[in-house]
Amino acid sequence: MSHFIPEQVTYFIADLHLAQNRPDITACFLSFLKNQAPQAEKLYILGDLFESWIGDDDDCPFVTDVAAALLALKKTGTEILFIHGNRDFLLGRKFADKSGMILLPEVSLIDLYGKPVVILHGDTLCTRDIAYQAFRKKSRSWWWQTMVKSLPLFIRRKIAANYRQRSAAATAMKAQDIMDVTPQEVVNCMERYHCNLMIHGHTHRPDIHELDVNNHEAKRIVLGDWYEQGAWLKVTKDKTELLYQPFISKP
Amino acid sequence: MITLKTTLGDIKIELDFDKAPITAKNFQQYVEDGFYDGTIFHRVIKGFMAQGGGFSSGMGEKETRASIENEASNGLGNKRGTLAMARTQDPHSASAQFFINLADNDFLDFKNESTQGWGYCVFGEVVEGMDIVDKMTLVETGRMGFHDDVPKEEIIIESAIAE
Repeated sequence: MSHFIPEQVTYFIADLHLAQNRPDITACFLSFLKNQAPQAEKLYILGDLFESWIGDDDDCPFVTDVAAALLALKKTGTEILFIHGNRDFLLGRKFADKSGMILLPEVSLIDLYGKPVVILHGDTLCTRDIAYQAFRKKSRSWWWQTMVKSLPLFIRRKIAANYRQRSAAATAMKAQDIMDVTPQEVVNCMERYHCNLMIHGHTHRPDIHELDVNNHEAKRIVLGDWYEQGAWLKVTKDKTELLYQPFISKP
Repeated sequence: MITLKTTLGDIKIELDFDKAPITAKNFQQYVEDGFYDGTIFHRVIKGFMAQGGGFSSGMGEKETRASIENEASNGLGNKRGTLAMARTQDPHSASAQFFINLADNDFLDFKNESTQGWGYCVFGEVVEGMDIVDKMTLVETGRMGFHDDVPKEEIIIESAIAE
């Protein structure tokens, strides 16, 4: 057994789009929770952990397994912090408690080894997608959420299934189908929070961008999606890396 | 006082027999037995720590004596320049491998008597030659077998002397 002094590590993930019909993604995620994540003091999940979310009362075994694996990670001492995405924005406190996650506001300012960082899912940065922003506004209102949550579970399941069938591309939502961020909105957001590092997901365009905010060097890190491989951002005191893990191919 | 004569230069260490009696004695014994002679620093991470004392040149793992009790609750913190014992997941599994803290790594300190909270026992301090320790981080590192952050050019403890 190796004498391994654990380095102080923080992981960021987003856009896993976990779904019952994609066991390869789930397997990769469960392996990440077991093998990499326990090293970390904190794991940030920046939205779209699930492809869809019909309510915390969904008791399908796949969702229960994920909750159990998250809770097991939390018990190793890793703090799990969650920001909603545009797919799983209905995920509530009940599920968060069950899986040992702390829900954070949709835009949060965190301290990362002494540096302030603004973190968010990223959909709010895509201001040019006017139709989506209108839906977003409606779907975040209390009346819309109360209406949806009051529907019986079987009806919500049916709506979700229909939705999946309709979007034939559900198996592989490519980056080009999602609008990219509005550069000015990125600058505005970083100015608002007085910081020069931003981490977000949503666009499925993993990269580390150098930019200029009011004549100050700034960075925008975009997390990768999990449609074709596992993807996480590993941050230690002096290293920031986007890492990828191929899915285990079926025999 | 212990002197580690390395390929980069000499590092002088003061052991704390008061606060970490078992660990300090254990380390001194390995020194007197010549165990560390020819071992390498096999995991070096800039801004974190340099770990050594368990592998000989070429990454062969050395046979150690029995593991010792973890004295991490002695109030000594993992501050820059301190020495602490490396171990496995089991809090009481330290034997010969040690590490030198290159930064204040408070998160490695004792918190409570649980597997996660036990921390890493500090038992000494570099009193001379911290510049030599810092030089270790200038060596390029890479993956070797199952090990990450292995210096590509070996940093060898040619001899360890107790005075």
